[in-house]
Amino acid sequence: MTQSSLLSVKDLGISTVQDPRTLVNQVSFDIGLGEAVGVVGESGSGKTLSALSILGLLPRGVEVVSGSVTFKDKNLLTLDTEELRNIRGNEIAMIYQDPMTALNPVMKLGKQLLEVIASHGGINDGSQNQVRVLLLEVGIPDVNRAMESYPHEFSGGMRQRIMIAMALLLSPQLLIADEPTTALDVTIQQQILALVSEARKKRNMSMLWITHDLGVVANLVDRLNVMYAGRIVESGTVEEIFRKPKHPYTAGLLSSLPTSTGTNRERLTSISGVPEKPWLVGNSCGFAARCSRAQARCHSEIPLTVTTDSSSVACFFPLGGN
Amino acid sequence: MSLEIKDVEKLYKIVSTDTVIHALNGIDISLPAGKTLGIVGESGCGKSTLARLVTGLETPNRGGITWKGSPIHDVNKGSFSTKKSVVQLVFQDPYSSLNPRQRIGDAISEIITVHNLVAKNMVETRVSELLSLVGLADDLKNRYPHQLSGGQRQRVSIARALAAEPNLLVLDEPVSALDVSVRAEVMNLLLDLRAKLGLTYIFISHDLAMIRYISDLVAVMYLGKIVEFGSWEQVINDPQHPYTQALIQAMPDHTVIGNPESLAKTLEGEVPDPVNLPTGCAFHLRCVKATPACAVAAQTLREISSNHLVACMEA
Repeated sequence: MTQSSLLSVKDLGISTVQDPRTLVNQVSFDIGLGEAVGVVGESGSGKTLSALSILGLLPRGVEVVSGSVTFKDKNLLTLDTEELRNIRGNEIAMIYQDPMTALNPVMKLGKQLLEVIASHGGINDGSQNQVRVLLLEVGIPDVNRAMESYPHEFSGGMRQRIMIAMALLLSPQLLIADEPTTALDVTIQQQILALVSEARKKRNMSMLWITHDLGVVANLVDRLNVMYAGRIVESGTVEEIFRKPKHPYTAGLLSSLPTSTGTNRERLTSISGVPEKPWLVGNSCGFAARCSRAQARCHSEIPLTVTTDSSSVACFFPLGGN
Repeated sequence: MSLEIKDVEKLYKIVSTDTVIHALNGIDISLPAGKTLGIVGESGCGKSTLARLVTGLETPNRGGITWKGSPIHDVNKGSFSTKKSVVQLVFQDPYSSLNPRQRIGDAISEIITVHNLVAKNMVETRVSELLSLVGLADDLKNRYPHQLSGGQRQRVSIARALAAEPNLLVLDEPVSALDVSVRAEVMNLLLDLRAKLGLTYIFISHDLAMIRYISDLVAVMYLGKIVEFGSWEQVINDPQHPYTQALIQAMPDHTVIGNPESLAKTLEGEVPDPVNLPTGCAFHLRCVKATPACAVAAQTLREISSNHLVACMEA
């Protein structure tokens, strides 16, 4: 853990409880104070599980089997339920893809937001106002009416704004976002990204943003971790990942995106095959079966993560050489 | 011209509140056979309603849709007794559009036997043909949908649509639910099939990058109306309607990086309620170029250059 880091995940391993199957393997990353880190990966790459484990929110049947998650000198993985409750919301807040999972459908919004403050022991005369100010900040048009409305009365974009307000209510130092814009229109997505970016800057809040879409994080985060088959295969600054990808998977992902220039009808570069299940990778590189650069070694050995300056890559034959 | 959509209007009545949703308010489209029309717009703009009308799943309240001169509805009604259907639809979510308890082979052969397309002893061969056409291995026949990846499932959905030997394929967000690395493969498959079978596509998406990639013609929809129409070069490289310009600006662009300010330049507000349509130009409430006149005068499409239509007085 470096001096300035707020959260440090070290050698995290996650596995199913029965018939143990590895889902996340040796994941390590740091989030600095005020830093925004993105995690990019496809379904099943382990990005959401890694994030959920930070707050002890893993679904039933899945458990952390190794590693540590250090937040301000505390290992979150060893805290009891009560201690974790104090950290959730207060110090680390989370927003999800579907806001309805975080909002109570039968409780008026004002009451719901005040409950967040109350349940963390801090309700007072100013609380009402605190909620209003925040709803205004996230762009809810008629705050008085909104406080008296139920979640279903809002559009998807508005619900997402409300969830962000709820997450910011207790001024957390770290915001974890699990694909909060995936279900939204591009225009609304852009509004939400601008809102979060602004709110983060104002508070110097750290952020972990999970997504499957590289385009979303290009202008939102400082650093990126690329996950594949349960491991981080490459990490670096946004500049490094987008301009000089080293891992063949990262390069493949980037080139499979249609560009906004050039003509149409050109075939898109695709990565053939489907992602390997993390528990079936065994002693090999998880990407070897789909990789054009793969050699014999890639199928019989796990590539170690090689770190240089600000970036790291887990590949025997990275682009641009070792 | 092959597909003609003429002055189509679609209303939905909400009985409980006695109100009417104006889903489509006068749509005119001519699409030549073999061409691909991309339809783009935010949720609630009527894209999927139009897809349902074109495939004959619903009927318009006004106007008509014809394929090579004959109305779609008759064409499709006849499709069960005659040999084949003209239009087929591919849905967004390959997880919910396949029967989880039906083997892949059966899901495809069902279409062939219902439409009575080949002799009974040839059905099996035809299923294999279709699987190979969409790039799937023959042994997938005996699998169930849950044993397939998202990309494979969407290929099965495409194979099912092709089984009915359509001329026109309506693709409603066909790659939105797929992982990025798989998306490119399915898009390439659609290009190949179009070339091989001479298909006409209507490609519906909220993702302009995909629209740009596959379309010959592009229609931009807002609140049940087409606000801009033209070739893909005209609409995407030289957008004239402020709404199209805003959509293009909102595209996540991975070639611009590390510039948080770029996020702030975006369209404000949301699509208004289709029950109470705004007066004048429906977009004026969110438009940066709106003048007082825009709140009064409704805009119709006018040709600003050859075959480039825009419904905006400021364009």
